[in-house]
Amino acid sequence: MVVSASGPNPPGTPRVKSLNCPGCGAAITLRSFSQAVTVVCDHCHSILDAQDPRLTIVQKFKAAVDEDRRLIPLGTRGTIRGTIYEVVGFQRRTIHVDGIPYSWHEYVLFNPYKGFRYLTEYNGHWNDTSILRSLPAVNDNVNPATVTYLGQTYRLFQTTKAGTSFVLGEFPWQVRVGEAADVSDYISPPRVISSERTGKEITWSMGEYVSGRDIWKAFGLEGNPPEAVGVYENQPSPLSADTTALWLAFVGFLVALVVMFIGFESFAHNEQVFEGFYSFDTKVRGEASFVTDVFQLKGHTSDLELTTTSDVNNNWIYLNYALINEDTGQAYDFRREVSYYHGYDSDGSWTEGSHTDSVAIPSVPPGNYYLRVEPESDFGHGTISYSITAKRDVPQASFFGLALLALLVPAGFITWRSMNFEHLRWAESDYAPASSGDSNGSDRPTTLGNIFGKGSNS
Amino acid sequence: MTQPTANCPNCGAKIVFRWSSSVQTVCEYCKSILVRTDIDLKKVGQVADLPPNSSPIQIGTEGVYNRQAFVAIGRIIYEYDQGTWNEWHLVMNNGSAWLSDAQDEYVVTFAAPGRNLPTADESQVGQRYTWDSESYTVATITKAHYRGVEGELPFQYWDKHDVVFVDLMSTNGKFATVDYSDETPVLYLGQSVEFDDLKFKNLRAFEGWS
Amino acid sequence: MIRNLYVLYGIIVLGTLAMAEYRGWSLNSVNEVKNVPKSVRDNPGSYRSVYGFYHHYTGGK
Repeated sequence: MVVSASGPNPPGTPRVKSLNCPGCGAAITLRSFSQAVTVVCDHCHSILDAQDPRLTIVQKFKAAVDEDRRLIPLGTRGTIRGTIYEVVGFQRRTIHVDGIPYSWHEYVLFNPYKGFRYLTEYNGHWNDTSILRSLPAVNDNVNPATVTYLGQTYRLFQTTKAGTSFVLGEFPWQVRVGEAADVSDYISPPRVISSERTGKEITWSMGEYVSGRDIWKAFGLEGNPPEAVGVYENQPSPLSADTTALWLAFVGFLVALVVMFIGFESFAHNEQVFEGFYSFDTKVRGEASFVTDVFQLKGHTSDLELTTTSDVNNNWIYLNYALINEDTGQAYDFRREVSYYHGYDSDGSWTEGSHTDSVAIPSVPPGNYYLRVEPESDFGHGTISYSITAKRDVPQASFFGLALLALLVPAGFITWRSMNFEHLRWAESDYAPASSGDSNGSDRPTTLGNIFGKGSNS
Repeated sequence: MTQPTANCPNCGAKIVFRWSSSVQTVCEYCKSILVRTDIDLKKVGQVADLPPNSSPIQIGTEGVYNRQAFVAIGRIIYEYDQGTWNEWHLVMNNGSAWLSDAQDEYVVTFAAPGRNLPTADESQVGQRYTWDSESYTVATITKAHYRGVEGELPFQYWDKHDVVFVDLMSTNGKFATVDYSDETPVLYLGQSVEFDDLKFKNLRAFEGWS
Repeated sequence: MIRNLYVLYGIIVLGTLAMAEYRGWSLNSVNEVKNVPKSVRDNPGSYRSVYGFYHHYTGGK
């Protein structure tokens, strides 16, 4: 039994105390050894002084036997931040907004070595809270006020008067039902710093947002956690987007895109490898197809831009093309049409179509090629002249446009979702920042200000 | 290092001093408060029943602070309206320090002599003082009373009446306490520490907790 | 986290763009036919386009 080396009467192992309630005789367990200051009897709802060996009653409050269902029963143990804690106390706190009561729940957690911790729950949103050891610095020179702690700035979200409306279990401070405190919440998602003032004393605490699922897993609870309703003050944005960083990345990509554009435009060969002039007599029946001379495509696999130009006047010419590799017998088949119409009506003169048509044949390997051409048109509409030009290695500008769109759309979507989420968050606050920016860099950070780097860092 | 031994003048039990500079100790057997004079030990008082203590620290608990090893060899117990707390006397290689242990919140402080200190009446919550280029704000003023002593202490301390403690905090996690037990107030400077950082060994066991 | 995913995505987009520009991809679709006989050069009428676009014969004759 000798635990320490200093003599025959060592302090002994502290034991969980079982006592009887002086009000109704029911059994009371003190799970936090001698650290509880207040303990509440489950049965008669007497609030007792836990430091007094006689457990003097300090207050009695009326409550239906099981008025508030605890989501986590007293006595349950769970692991938070690598330490096992036991739920020893529970309270419900209520605020009134426009006459409507809103309540949240707090669970007191205890570990004999690490002390006390708190879990708060409101509408399915959970926070892991502990008392702060150092003082945060209050910046009341800005409006609304902010608080700085360990290099992070927290923005004022809400000030309320919170009253205790229901208590159960053990507490390391003196609780009374009905006592109210002035509470201010400052947020920097996923964290929140709260100041609580009763009389002359201010207590600072910090909470970190936790999902209901993590709580259920930590305490091994049955069933499912309650659904989280709405957006809570320090709930982290689900896309966790630091929009500033996102747009910086976009700008970086934009610069790369421009450089690539200039690069490809400058280094592309754009070499005209073939030009031919032809005329098609629409009155002649029979085989209209012909082949061109062979031309060489040099360099690496690239595209071939084929342009057909014709002087069609209110007419059309349809060309069946085949680009054939003389050596390998590989052919690329495609059809193009050149049509041009014009006229005059009540709105003025109009035109439709064009005298030119271009097509880019993709990924043509180098080699010797010729074109097989078969023109078609309406029978008997005169002779149509047309020319065919082929250019090797022509950069496709449309891809740059597509790439720009591809880069813009996700960034835009994520930013829009984030702004939406923040809008929902601040809808619950009395201190919401203005939704359109003050552009002169004033102390009111805005959602837009967040994008351009003015807001707090997450 | 040889540990000086003596016998309790009240009950004759063997008293071993873990620290050669201890001025006062408590006989574990008869709870007499003994003060060291040049020649022998003198009984100056008696420790009454101590209040229930749920501190995880006990006499003999070891740990590390600022890379220095320490042993807890004594404590002073105070009581206030929220309960009790302990001031553990720690002994390190180069001197002694104090570990304040209140509801599992830990603060290590060192005596800082020779500063300008306000009187107990002058102190008010919210006031600022600067010591060693650090700004401290008065956070709490506690009226406590002495409840007992245990183990070895570096000074004489027993049977005090109500004492006032003024606790100050800085924004850097630094902590200060002004102790008004004696006529001249004493300043202690230090910082709050996390349980894990103190790397405790030889802690108490609690029923139901491994 | 999202930022890193976006950067990876952007690199893939630009990489694909570079590949497309270098290899000469285009938005046009072209039918590829293999093994066109060399006799087509002497007799272009003997070659008929693949019936990929129309499911009925649209040529002359």
